[in-house]
Formats: sequence, structure tokens, C-alpha cells
Amino acid sequence: MGNIRNFSIIAHVDHGKSTLADRLLQLTNTVEDRNMQEQLLDSMDLERERGVTIKASAVRMNYTALNGEQYIINLIDTPGHVDFTYEVSRALQACEGAILVVDASQGIEAQTLSNVYLALEQDLEIIPVINKIDLPAARPDEIAKEVEELLGISASEMLRISAKNGIGIRDVLERVVERVPAPVADQTTPLRALVFDSHYDSYKGVVAYVRIFDGKLTKRDLFKLMSTDAKFEAVEIGVFSPTMRPADELYAGEVGYIATGLKTVRECRVGDTLTLFNNPAPEPLPGYKQIKPMVFAGIYPTNNDEYGDLRDALEKLQLNDASLVYEPESSQALNFGFRVGFLGLFHMEIIQERLEREYDLDILATAPSVEYRILQGSGETISIDSPAHLPDESAIDEIYEPWMKIQVYTPQDHIGAIMDLVIKKRGEYITTEYLDPVRVILHYYLPLSELIVDFYDRLKSVTRGYASLDYQFYDYRPGDLVKLDVLVNNEPVDALALIVHRDHAYHKGQKLVTKLKDLIPRQMFVVPIQAAIGKRVISRANVSAMRKDVLAKCYGGDITRKKKLLEKQKKGKRRMKMIGAVEVPQEAFMALLSLDEE
Amino acid sequence: MAPSLAIIVKLSVYCNELQLMSLMTNTPISIYLHIPFCTTKCTYCAFNTYTHLETLIPAFVEALIREIQIVADGAEIRLPAHSVFFGGGTPTLLTPAQLGQILDTLHQRFEITSDAEITTEANPNDLNLSYLQGLRAAGFNRLSIGMQSANAQELKLFARRHDYATVTEIMPLVRQAEFKNVNLDLIYGAPYQSLATWHDTLTRTLELAPEHISLYALGLEENTPLKEWVETGRVPTPDDDLAADMYELATELLGVGGYQQYEISNWSQPGQASRHNLQYWRNWPYLGLGPGAHGYANGVRYATLLSPQRYIKALQTPLERHYPFPSTPATVDEVQVDRANEIAETLIMGLRLTVEGIDRAAFQQRFGVDLVDLHHEVITKYQTHGLLEVSDSCVRITQQGRMLSNLIFRDLV
Repeated sequence: MGNIRNFSIIAHVDHGKSTLADRLLQLTNTVEDRNMQEQLLDSMDLERERGVTIKASAVRMNYTALNGEQYIINLIDTPGHVDFTYEVSRALQACEGAILVVDASQGIEAQTLSNVYLALEQDLEIIPVINKIDLPAARPDEIAKEVEELLGISASEMLRISAKNGIGIRDVLERVVERVPAPVADQTTPLRALVFDSHYDSYKGVVAYVRIFDGKLTKRDLFKLMSTDAKFEAVEIGVFSPTMRPADELYAGEVGYIATGLKTVRECRVGDTLTLFNNPAPEPLPGYKQIKPMVFAGIYPTNNDEYGDLRDALEKLQLNDASLVYEPESSQALNFGFRVGFLGLFHMEIIQERLEREYDLDILATAPSVEYRILQGSGETISIDSPAHLPDESAIDEIYEPWMKIQVYTPQDHIGAIMDLVIKKRGEYITTEYLDPVRVILHYYLPLSELIVDFYDRLKSVTRGYASLDYQFYDYRPGDLVKLDVLVNNEPVDALALIVHRDHAYHKGQKLVTKLKDLIPRQMFVVPIQAAIGKRVISRANVSAMRKDVLAKCYGGDITRKKKLLEKQKKGKRRMKMIGAVEVPQEAFMALLSLDEE
Repeated sequence: MAPSLAIIVKLSVYCNELQLMSLMTNTPISIYLHIPFCTTKCTYCAFNTYTHLETLIPAFVEALIREIQIVADGAEIRLPAHSVFFGGGTPTLLTPAQLGQILDTLHQRFEITSDAEITTEANPNDLNLSYLQGLRAAGFNRLSIGMQSANAQELKLFARRHDYATVTEIMPLVRQAEFKNVNLDLIYGAPYQSLATWHDTLTRTLELAPEHISLYALGLEENTPLKEWVETGRVPTPDDDLAADMYELATELLGVGGYQQYEISNWSQPGQASRHNLQYWRNWPYLGLGPGAHGYANGVRYATLLSPQRYIKALQTPLERHYPFPSTPATVDEVQVDRANEIAETLIMGLRLTVEGIDRAAFQQRFGVDLVDLHHEVITKYQTHGLLEVSDSCVRITQQGRMLSNLIFRDLV
């Protein structure tokens, strides 16, 4: 027990978290060199490509310290995006310490800091590590000073390493052994184990990743999950080293897995407490929340015949992702699809990409929306997550929309540009906090609907990439909001409707119409595109009729080539959606995401 | 005779034998011969042609003759043929004697009809009176001259070897050599080309009074200098709307000049439509001989080895087996055309014919189904948009449909 260390690594994207994890695995011989591959813990192709961890994972390492003692070191990897803050907080709860990796040239970033705060809330021991000291732009002393000011940890004792070149890796492990407290655990009290992640296995059911806080678990026990009340017998228990290796028992303080045989991850949610069915703990571990989706979008098969395939794919993704919710939806323009709820835009992007890549579906996603609350004349309040469902204006007393509290970390030279951006996005200033003489945290309130459109991209562009962003839900607030309808060839297209602030309606309508005019290819006839509020058209443009679409000379009777060319073009057109007689490309439905591009 | 017929020009395996016989007797084949040599390569050209391989010509002529013999042997009977077309490449890099030798072989092995249309493509630079007389003596009765433009700058952009004067000087000699059927090829929709230069090219072309004019919309083909120049911004991207204006201008001027349009890209003086062209558009059988040629016969679409060297080698090697018609040792990519594809091909070819379109009765006879029933939805759609017109006898594209024909074709493949 005294020789167990549980820790995670906190780092900004690209600051070297996965590389450091790779080196730790190598140094402890957890993975033989011949089996080593980059970003070993990131098993999804998407994670490797984006350099971001999407799912948490855990790995157990055996380490002989310089003092001659043997240690079991559990590294719990955490997702690297603000959409998954809750998952991060649960992973951190499973640890006693956290390595904070900071890039020696970039310094600390917004999401890193918010994760550090999460770690501090859990009373974790923070071990700052300055990485990439070998790069020409590295300024380790300055960065260490900055971290010292933020966290009150002495700059002089901070480790300076290069994970890429293997410099200082053993020091990191020594520091973990030395500083991270051994778990305090009582094996005599009833079992309490925290579920900090899970995945679905078609043979073993849901495999829960657990940290045992109290008691012990054996394969023979009968278990239950305290918030969902799901009861099960273990199919298998074990540890990750780094692949699943069965064990007979897991004790308090340890990290491992339990294959539950449960059929859905909804029965075994992240943050839930596992206990014994026959000898349950009186209280669950703190911190469990059922997290709710914040961002909603319609997802439709481009080809109507693939509706069933899309449903099956969403079902399969949900097996591994309890935060993904969906329900059937139909649209006049897009026929049958699903309204899907996501934790955030990043989560939405990931799901979209996985549907396309892992399930080979051609899908069409509508622009994301938030959940509005509508106080109706009748006194009844309803929630809508799609602009298409907004009741008639006469029936509405008030529309409430979700607002977020946001924190922007930035060098102070960009304050002006950020202020302008936030005001354009209907934000409200709260305060400015100085991190040091040149770096500040700007605090604002911002409507979520503005945040999910293109706020982050715009922020990056106005600060030349220097600013970083963190946000939390704040409150529902009333707003002077209206529905902006878009008509293509005189037909309103429900999937293109938007809810916007009245003051922005004209401007946005105009931009959207211009954008759609460029995106919708020329057809056989003139296609008018209009934006309207109620019956009033506020903007209009025409897509002029196509005039030339012919093939050049037929080469020596090569009809096969000609036909193949036509077939290829036809295939390209399948990604278009027919709205009435008009072919509308997928990008049109996402057009409002980039309305403010200069 | 009947048993051997079945293996010959099987226009369609779905016709009963009686229909097949009637189609057979009414439908001689056409023969395309590909001459893959050029002195220089034009900047828009993606055809199977090679520069600096002229030393191969004698061996190539022998190989081509051999190929003709092998195909003819495969057919078991002397097939009737009513058009022969030498394309390229530049057929006029061969001497009249070499071309004549090839034609003689065709006459020996096929039943070339007395009224056959026998064309060669010709580069204006290669022509002089004695060469032209040589072609005529060898049996050619039609010339297709690659004029492309009357504008010096456009010709320079295309890297053509000639100028407009070359064509004006050669035309009287062509007539003197008694060619009574001449086609001029023109290109429109090119970078830098304006409505004014196009107008000029058309006017000057009409002054030359050819019997036939082909207008090709410039396509930027893969791996051509022109495409690369456009992609790298060295040359402006051609404007589709301007190309459409050019097409409309041409339609008007050629109409006034007494030419009748019979296909999307082809105009002729009355009665001078190219029989060889029509064979393709009607989806009737043709042999493709020479490297990279394509053929369609016996229900099979096929291509021939692209490389002239490999083509020659394949035909020099002694035969190891019998090659069933229309295969030869140089044949590659043979595909049996199934009914659905035969219908699609018949439509995308036939709808290019602006006057005759698709004859409903002929279609019904060939496929056993009425075209309008078969493609009701597509036909109605484009009829509504004014791109197709339907009568009891035929389905054809309208004036408006000509420049938008690919829209229709895409829905039919």
C-alpha cells in the first residue's frame, strides 16, 4: 500500500503529455521497445492524428526507485479538451498527484490552469515539469517563474526535462515516488470504487475503469453501482499493464478494471461509485453528476437509405460514450435523422468524424444550436434545442438562453482585440486578473450560442494564437431573440433556420444569404435565396443559372472513360441534399459557423 | 450462314436472332485506327500520343497491319465496314504509301462498302499537293484538319505548329486534290480567348467553306501543360459563362452560314454529317486499332495497349492461340457490356445527336422497352426544365439542353 502512487498528467495540447507518458512506459519496461509506438495511450486514430486524448485510460507501471524500493505507479490519462472537464475531474479524483507539464517556450495555458485548479480542489500534489528545454525558443527559467507565481511552488526545484529526447525522465519518476502521497485506504470498510472511465467490449460488456478507495473487490463478489442501482457479477477484474491483465483481487488504493457484463455505459457512468451488493457502503464517493449535453445538432444521412445505418452507428458510439444523447428528428428539408446532444463543439466534431470514418457514413450535420427555454403566453415554459421548433412569435412571452462564464488567458497586448470580439458576440465584461505584468485572465459572460459558433477560431485569429479559453455554464438569461428563416427557391428550409439576437438579425441574414449564394452550385434555373424574419424578407440574392456543363472531345471512341467521368461526377453530387429541385451541398448547413470571417 | 452470325457483331444479346440479323445487315461496322505519333505535343492534349518515336513508324505500320489481320481472322467472315477513320496523334506523319498499305489491308480483310467514308486527321503543316494527291490515290475521301483557331496567340498557347495562313494556303490544294469532304476542328472556351477572337475564327473558318465543322469545348485534362498553367495561375481559368456565349455565337453564325448542327459539337453542310461520328453516337459497333484505341464490338468494349513499343512487340510475337473477335494480342481491358450499361451508353451517346436524338422505336426494338417508360422520372424532370423534348418518335435535347447535357447524362449513368 505504501508503495502505490496514483497520478495523472495535466498538459496543454502539444505540450508533450503523450510523449512523456510514452517515455515513462519505456523507462519502466511496461512496454517493450519493439511494441512501442507513439502516443501509446491514445488508441483511437483520431487521437493520434489530432494529438489530443479523447478518452481517458490508465496504465500500471512497476518501478524500482533509486532507494531500491519497488513501486506500483498508476498513470491515469485524462482527456485534453474543455468539453470533457467532468471526465477530467473524475480522473483526477482517482489520483493523489498530478504532473503538470508546461512547454518551456509557451508557458501555461487556460485549460491547463483550469485543470490544475480541478486538481487542487481534489487536494492533489502538483509536480510541475518544464518540458521541451532543448528547443531553441525555450525559456525554462522564465516559465518556471511564471508557474511559481501561479502555484506558489518554488521555481528552483521544478524539473526541467525533454520528453522527446529522454532527458530527465527518471527524475520525474523519482519525484512522483517522493512527493505523491501513498493512497490512504481502509481495506476493512465496505467497498467503494470510483468509476473514472469505461469502454464497451462486445464480449465482456462495459469495462469500468476503477480506483478503489475502500475495501477490496474480488471476482466472486456481487456488485452494484450506487447511482444507477445497476447490479452485476464481474466477468473479469484486472489491471492495465498496459493491456488488460486479469487479477483475482483489487485492494483499496489500487487502480484497475472490472468487466461488468452490463450492456450500456449509461448503467455504468463516469463518477459513479461501485460497491458490494450485499454489503453496500453507506455513502457514495462525492462528486457524481449526470452531465448534460450543451450543444445540439441535427445529423442526417446524406442518402435517406442510410437512416438505419446511422441509427445503429449512434447506438454503438453511445455504448462507449454516456454523454452522447440522441433522438429521432425529421426535417422537411432533410427527411429523417437525429437530434444529437453533445458536451461541446469538440465533442460534436469527434462524433461526426467517427460516424464518417469508423462507420463509413455520408452524413450531413446542421449548424449547432443550444437549448432555449421559452416562456409562453400560457405561462408554460418549454425547452427547445432546434430553431425549427421555436413557437410562433405571438405565443412567446420571453426566450431564455444559456450563458457561460468564460476566462480568456492572454498576453495583455491583445486585450483590446479580445474586448472588441466579445462585444461583437454580445459578451459582458466581468473583470481582469493579472497573472504577471504581461499576462492576464479576462473574465466575461457570453451567450453559449455565440460561443459555439466561431468564437474560439476568432479568438485565436485576433490574438495570433496566443489566447486560450476556458468556460463553464453560468445561467439562463432572457434575450431579445428572433428566428431567422432561410428560403431557398422560395421554400423555407427548416434545417437552415437560426435563432439570433434581434440587433444582429439583419447583418447575419445578409451574410448568410451571401454565403449560401456562394456555396450553392448553379442549377438549371435561377435560385433565389432569402432571409426572413416572420413574413418580412430582410435579405435576398440569386444563384444565377448554370450555362455550361458539357464534355470535351470524345477520345477515339473511348466511351468508357466518358461514362466513368460522369459516374464520378454523379458520385460527387450524392453528397448534395435535394431541397425541392435544388441541390444543396453539406457546407451550406454549416454556413452560419463562419459568418463573421473577414 | 446463320450459326456464324451469332459470334460476329452482336449488337445486343437481348435481341432475338431475327432482329439481330436485320440489325446486322443494316449495320456495317466502323474502323478507327490510332496513329500515336506527333512532332510536338499540343498543350491541351491528353491523348495517347508520343513525340520522338517516329523511328518506330515502319515497325508500327507492320504491327497495325498484323492487328487488322488478326481481328479479321477472328471474325470468320468478311465484315462489312462503312467508315474508316485514321486519328491520332498525327496520321499525316506517315507517308501516303504507308497509309495506303494499311488501307489496302483493310480492303483485303473487310468488306469496305463502295460508299465508305474514309477519313484521316491531318496536320496542316504536313500537307502539300503531292501528299494530298497521294492520300486521295490511297483511297481517302475525307480530311479532318486540326485548325483549332485563326488567332495566332491562341495557336501559340496551344503550341500548334501552324498558323491561320497555313490553313488558307492548304485549302485550295485540298480541293485541287479532289477532297470533296473536309472537316475543320476548332476549340473554344480557351484561356485568353474572347468573344471577338472567336467571332473572327468562326468568320474565317466559314470563308474556307469546309463541308463539316467540329467545335470542341476546351477541357483541362490531367497531366497537360495547360491544366498545370491554369492551376498554378500562370494562365487564367477559362470562364464557363463566356464559353456558353461562344457556343451560342457559333450556333448562330454557323446556322446563318448554311451549316446544320447534328450533334452537340458537330455541324455540317446538308448531307455531309460524318458517318464515322454517327456510328459512335448511335452506339453502333466499331473496331479500335492501334495503341490506345478503343473499340466496341461483339458486345464488348475494349482498349488496346497504350505503349507503341509494347503494342508493336505484342503483335510481332507469333500467335499462340486463336483470338476470338474482336481480341488481339494487343487487347487490354475487355468488358462485356451488360444490358444496363448498353442502355446507359446508348443514351449518353444518342442524346448528343441534336436532330435525331434517340429514336424511340429503334430503342424499343434494341432493348425491348420504351425509353420514356424506362426513364420516366429523369425525362420528365429535364422536360420540365426545358432541356429535353419528347415526341412520339424520339427523345432529344433542346437548344437549351446542349450546353447542359452532362446534367442529363449524369442522371442516366
